[in-house]
Amino acid sequence: MSKGPNYAGVMQQTVSSQNLIESEAELIVRILNGQRECYYDLVAPYQRMVYVSALSVLRDEAEAEDCAQESLIKALCHLKDFKGESKFGSWLVRIALNEAKMRRRKLRPALYESLDRPADCNNHEETEYVPQVLQDWREIPSEALERNEIREALENAIKQLPDIYRQVFILRDLQEYDTADTAEILGVSEAVVKTRLVRARLQMRDLLTPVVRNSKLLSREAFKRGRNPWL
Amino acid sequence: MAMTCRELWQEVSNYIEGTIAPDLLGEVEAHLAYCRFCSAVVDGVRNVVVLVADERVFELPIGFGERLKKRLENEF
Repeated sequence: MSKGPNYAGVMQQTVSSQNLIESEAELIVRILNGQRECYYDLVAPYQRMVYVSALSVLRDEAEAEDCAQESLIKALCHLKDFKGESKFGSWLVRIALNEAKMRRRKLRPALYESLDRPADCNNHEETEYVPQVLQDWREIPSEALERNEIREALENAIKQLPDIYRQVFILRDLQEYDTADTAEILGVSEAVVKTRLVRARLQMRDLLTPVVRNSKLLSREAFKRGRNPWL
Repeated sequence: MAMTCRELWQEVSNYIEGTIAPDLLGEVEAHLAYCRFCSAVVDGVRNVVVLVADERVFELPIGFGERLKKRLENEF
């Protein structure tokens, strides 16, 4: 549970965020004045963010890399259009998502034709998600990631989520955007982000729990402490 | 009236993030004290959130940065 606000931590985070924005603003000015060699320094911290955003739409690593690279090139071409009204990272993510959606329509029009239709989204939105009755999962998460199979299972589970849930889940939980930024990037309300996030997390739990259980990864410590890991 | 399982699922994000409304916190904890199903759901969701925040998930492909640098050098 929350331990309450850590004011020193919040202040430090605010100062470092401010420093980041100022250094980004300086780099942008230099790039727009012709020093394009500075561009890599500007986007380097956001490479994974852009790549994962592309992957959230395309669900294919090679296509996502190609899309992410192209998005970062396009961002440079349109850098003069960035007015600082949103965070620079959010701006890059929006470019990557748009580029990825455009590519998806070109690459697999038949397969993905319905996914962008509002009616399809509404059907998902109206359907309440009911979690499955599964055996308990008490594994310590940090230990689980030491195993490649869990990382792969996690990535596969994310790819299985319906589009509207996957994008929210990736922005909120993987890229750690807050609700307001996620809503702005996706062009939906904060209430929609919250609803989609709950459903995405519940589905992820249902998809992953059997994998973790079947991997026999339950901590030996849990047994030693006499906890019954089963329901 | 006690909180139902369905009502609790709607609050699972707020609960694990510590942003749940104070008047609902007691109801959620009272429900979790007797409902093993919802306890398992909350544990599982919390594990998912912790796991997915790890930077080793969806790592950037090896050489991504070098390929980007090369494209930037070639095209600009």
